[in-house]
Amino acid sequence: MSVHGIQVTINGRRHDASVEGRLLLSDFLRMHCGYTGVHVGCEHGVCGACTVVVDGAAVRACLMLAVQADGAAVTTVEGLAGADGGLHPVQQALRDEFGLQCGFCTPGIVMTLAALTSGTGPPGADSLLAALSGHVCRCTGYQGIRRAAQKLGGGTQGEPA
Amino acid sequence: MNEMKPVEAARYVGQRVPRKEDERLLRGQGVYVDDVELPGMLHVAFVRSPIARGRIRSIDTSLAREAPGVYAVLTAGDLARFKINMLSFYLSAPAIAIAPLATQRVAYVGDPVALVAARDRYLAEDAAGLVTVEYDEEDPVVTLDDARSGPLVHPDTDTNAAIAMGEEHDEDIEQRLAQAPHLVTATIKHQRVAQSPIETRGVVVDKHGDGELTVYISCQSPQMAARYISLALGMPQMSVRVISKDVGGSFGLKVQPWREEIAVVAAGIVLGRPLKWIEDRLENLTAANQAREQEMTLRVAFDAQGHLLASHADYHLNNGAYPHGADCNIAVSMFLWAAHKMPGFSFYTRGWYTNTAGLAAYRGPWAMESLARETVLDIAARKIGIDPIEIRRRNLVTRADQPCTTPFGIPLEDITPAECLEILLEHLDVAAFRAEQAAARTQGRYLGLGFATYIEPTAGSAGISVLASDVAQIRVEPTGKVTAVLSTHSQGHGTQTTMAQIIADHLGVPFEDVSIFEDDSSRGGFGAGASGSRQAVAGGGASIKAAELLADKIKRIAAHLLEADPAQVRIEAGVIRVVGEPDKTRSLREIAELAYGEPERLPPGMEAGLEVQYRYRPPPLTLTSAAHACIVEVDAETGFVKIKRWLCSEDCGVMIHPAVVEGQIAGGLTQAIGCVLMEQVSFDARGNPTAVTYKDYLLPAISDTPDFEYIHANTPSQAVGGFRGVGEGGCIIGPPTLVNAIADALAPFGPIPLELPLTPTRILEVIEGRSLAPKAPGHAPPAAIPAAPAPTDVQPVPSPLAAQVPPPAADSSIDGTWKLVLATPLGPQTFNGRFKSAGNSVTGSLISDIGTENFQGVLDGNNLKFDLKVTKPMSLTLKYDIRFDGDKLTGKVKMGIFGSAKLTGERIER
Amino acid sequence: MKPAPFDYIAPATIEEACAQLAEAGGGATILAGGQTLMPLLALRMSQPFILVDINRIAALRGVTRSEGYTRIGPVTRQNEAIADSTLAKSLPLLVTATRHVGHHQTRNRGTIGGSIALGEPAAELPATAVALGASVEARSVRGSRRIAAADLYLGPYMTALAQDELVVSIQFPDWPSGTVNVFREVAMRPGDFALVGLTGAVAVKDGHIERAGLAWFGMGPTPIKARQAEQALVGQPVAGLDFDKLAGLAVADTDPFDDHHATAAYRRTVGRRVFARALSEALQVHQ
Repeated sequence: MSVHGIQVTINGRRHDASVEGRLLLSDFLRMHCGYTGVHVGCEHGVCGACTVVVDGAAVRACLMLAVQADGAAVTTVEGLAGADGGLHPVQQALRDEFGLQCGFCTPGIVMTLAALTSGTGPPGADSLLAALSGHVCRCTGYQGIRRAAQKLGGGTQGEPA
Repeated sequence: MNEMKPVEAARYVGQRVPRKEDERLLRGQGVYVDDVELPGMLHVAFVRSPIARGRIRSIDTSLAREAPGVYAVLTAGDLARFKINMLSFYLSAPAIAIAPLATQRVAYVGDPVALVAARDRYLAEDAAGLVTVEYDEEDPVVTLDDARSGPLVHPDTDTNAAIAMGEEHDEDIEQRLAQAPHLVTATIKHQRVAQSPIETRGVVVDKHGDGELTVYISCQSPQMAARYISLALGMPQMSVRVISKDVGGSFGLKVQPWREEIAVVAAGIVLGRPLKWIEDRLENLTAANQAREQEMTLRVAFDAQGHLLASHADYHLNNGAYPHGADCNIAVSMFLWAAHKMPGFSFYTRGWYTNTAGLAAYRGPWAMESLARETVLDIAARKIGIDPIEIRRRNLVTRADQPCTTPFGIPLEDITPAECLEILLEHLDVAAFRAEQAAARTQGRYLGLGFATYIEPTAGSAGISVLASDVAQIRVEPTGKVTAVLSTHSQGHGTQTTMAQIIADHLGVPFEDVSIFEDDSSRGGFGAGASGSRQAVAGGGASIKAAELLADKIKRIAAHLLEADPAQVRIEAGVIRVVGEPDKTRSLREIAELAYGEPERLPPGMEAGLEVQYRYRPPPLTLTSAAHACIVEVDAETGFVKIKRWLCSEDCGVMIHPAVVEGQIAGGLTQAIGCVLMEQVSFDARGNPTAVTYKDYLLPAISDTPDFEYIHANTPSQAVGGFRGVGEGGCIIGPPTLVNAIADALAPFGPIPLELPLTPTRILEVIEGRSLAPKAPGHAPPAAIPAAPAPTDVQPVPSPLAAQVPPPAADSSIDGTWKLVLATPLGPQTFNGRFKSAGNSVTGSLISDIGTENFQGVLDGNNLKFDLKVTKPMSLTLKYDIRFDGDKLTGKVKMGIFGSAKLTGERIER
Repeated sequence: MKPAPFDYIAPATIEEACAQLAEAGGGATILAGGQTLMPLLALRMSQPFILVDINRIAALRGVTRSEGYTRIGPVTRQNEAIADSTLAKSLPLLVTATRHVGHHQTRNRGTIGGSIALGEPAAELPATAVALGASVEARSVRGSRRIAAADLYLGPYMTALAQDELVVSIQFPDWPSGTVNVFREVAMRPGDFALVGLTGAVAVKDGHIERAGLAWFGMGPTPIKARQAEQALVGQPVAGLDFDKLAGLAVADTDPFDDHHATAAYRRTVGRRVFARALSEALQVHQ
């Protein structure tokens, strides 16, 4: 079993580590780096709770090896808040719309929406809703999540956050 | 405590205030059990049975012990120093022996056989793969049919019937059914489902200090978990502290610790090292307890106008091998016709053991009553030729009919399902829909509209001791901020928000100044947390009463200081004022500093500090009502169902937080959609589960839910605060609403099967009018297995144990003291019986924790019969019919409407 | 659910990767996007000695055009393919099919070549490759060979690729102008594997079917080419096609199975309807 030196930038901070080849990125972020906002719900890529942003794209942290993130920039839910410590617009929209209950699936949903709304211009509610089909929430029936996505996507729901 | 207080205007209750929980959860700063790390902590993986039924011939752990990073490998023998018995939710001992790790036999695929503790979970799983277990495999008992005819799941029992109640044949009801103008009979089958919280089960145990134990666990109540752990391990002397800050959903699964959690706690004590076990999804979908697998044959008689005349329900529930409590789901029968004018009703209900994962609660465990009743009402409406709305109008109990009592004797005072239905109809143009439906059908499009109404028992506080009461401890800190420690607990419920709203209103302080703590068993008092939709009612009532006591004290202090009449003192936004005297004000902080720091300035004789506690027992039952409607379109080409609209007209009393209420309803409805359309735990003929990942166990996605529409009615309940529970309802009323809509859409093709889930295959069969069944049966007939003695009626079966006892010698009298066990729906009840015979007459007494009941009975050979009148938890005459043989006895006890329960006993003293 | 131990290597070149696969003598598994393989590793259903990660081989990525065909590097991410302007023009069917693969998040890692080389029978891309007459170039230290997609799939997750072979490109031949695409997937939820899937293209010239390439997914142990229907279509005038009869022929080539989600009889019944409707709708453009 192989061991590898890796260097990963997580939430803007450089992490040097030595990891076994088989270590999942989700476990690396949680156990080695302390980013416990990365939640592990299924470990086979379906529930979406562990979704993080790697080099700008939302991906499942449980479907990547830590060693594969060598040289990459990773953002977890802990890295989203603004410089003033305020909530990211995605977090604020979910808060305003009561888009969470137990909060376990929430960080993954936040990261997908954050990645897709990071560009210039509204991403379109349809594309956000389509991407949210990659997340399972067992509590909310998706009502507030959908409202938040419609708001963030430039949909018709209420005032912008 | 004193006269009726003027209700101060609610400022927060009823408002959609931002949830206190959300900021930390949105930032990823929640603390779930897997986020707990302790120095020297080891990680646990289980070795699990790959077979459903058999005997363990040998376990070889030698290779695993030598594997890298492994600290220990434990089997049942290593935990034998504890006298562990897994208790039920009611904290009663189970009818069958349940150990945390399999002892001599395995009883389902996934049964934990050994536990590996290693440096990390990767190494633990590596080593678990090195444990060799040899089994003598036996043919398993998988389905309800298997259970009725197959070998014994638990060889120490005499039947696979875990528990049975009611009467199979009630002559009076049978006559009414036979003579009725209309008789509708339907068999409704509900599949097995997985609760599937996105956070799986998990536990961290840390033994430290002098016999102290700290347990972090994903649960529904840290109080309940602490009490359970100390009782299950038989260590009342050990101080058990349970911490459970954030929980990622539960839905019944985590209502009590179960085998794996208790095994890890025991192993943590044995090994003296912190241990962590986080269930992975494969374990969760195979070995965690599951829910709902059940079937009911419901017969309902109507008069010519569609009025109910009589009904009989025959019900079976799969308990799996190790249920959280042997269960025949008596609540299904209790609530089947509770909101209806039903003149005559009888039932026969049984729970069965099988070689599958055990039964646990799932949101609205008795939901089958609504599914069965509402689908059968629609069938009846079609048969009789009246509208589904009309058949409900004719039979529902309305406000005008109350007070009245249900067939089970439950008093109804303020239920409103009929009124909810009428309000619903103001928001739904049924005539317009019928026109649209007719037009669509001409184009080959199939729209359907379904209705359901129900009442939901919430916050039951009678008869189940662990649910009797909740406690609030509220303190105005010397800083003027308010902290409250409650026996509520949130797994997403938002009780840190809703309880703070209540307390802020009743104390007169800003919402922001109130902090709720419910995460640590050592901080507060016992309560069952989230269970039975009780937190708003029981926790809310406790919070109100405690806040009122505290407000009263603050006012008396302020009045004393300001030389005012306490009745004229107001607390508003954390400032104390005197009516009509604008100069006389004090901040809450000033009062608090004085109360703690200068008690000599308090009114004479008053206790220092600003701290109160109130333990509130809500009314025996608080009922929530609702009527739902949904509109679907069924794609006749594929059998897919699209939900186009869903209206919820519900009455949960005074609403604390509309968004929280709606969130509970929406979440329950989404689980209902899963039950009806896609979720299914299934097994092959060998008892292997066939949906063990989320690729096969399908949960509803965002595209499966419509935008739910809510219409709130708010009839205050009898409970303090006027709240009603709302946690489980969506999951109860959702399935029949959706099934009825699908049935309506497919009406042109014929009746739909009442078998969940209604997969595309099942729906297409209706559309096609032919079978699309698998080529080879998916469930192969079980191999020839020696049949057990045919179970089982509730008639007392002669105990095989008794048969082995040598025939009674000279002393064949019943005299002496006996230990008796009665198998009730709430779990086995243990008590002592003393008998003294004189000729054919016997006098005696039954002695239990709640008291002693005396009786006189009649002896006929080895048969003793007597009646016992009891008043707790309700008035009942218990008819005992006992047969004794040597020092053993068996028999049955007829318990009025609750049917019969089995009695066993053993003489402990002559 | 943690993977069993393995040695991880991430070669930088195709040659290096081939050498490592050869050296492993069958004990290696290739890791591309990992969106299917990683769950198999976590479930310990796959326990390779060596995992050869090809994500760092730059030569395996990107889309290029040549005379008569489009070449796709196997490690091209699915979302890259969806956004690729060349593919939008030359292979719109592949773009449509790729949109149905998994979810946005898995398409950010998942690759075109990974899906095609794994051979999940209910997946969109292998069937699309079969339908369009694509081929893969397989490289090993023993040399290079081209395998037609139609010959690639032997059974569920079983392909004609040898254990030391690496797919280095996928070539999709150009279809004539006047080609219409057919794609229909019946799945329980977005992103799920198909209960019934149909993908392909029909080229129409002067009102007649010039060429047809249609394949099923989720309808048997491999992607299944609807050969009988294809043969019956070619040369026929578009006007007056008997779609129901064609659908019957198309379903006759399938070999669906009963599983947890749908029965074989369901798949056949719906397949027939899907085929008739999808084809007739696609060809309406030309009527």
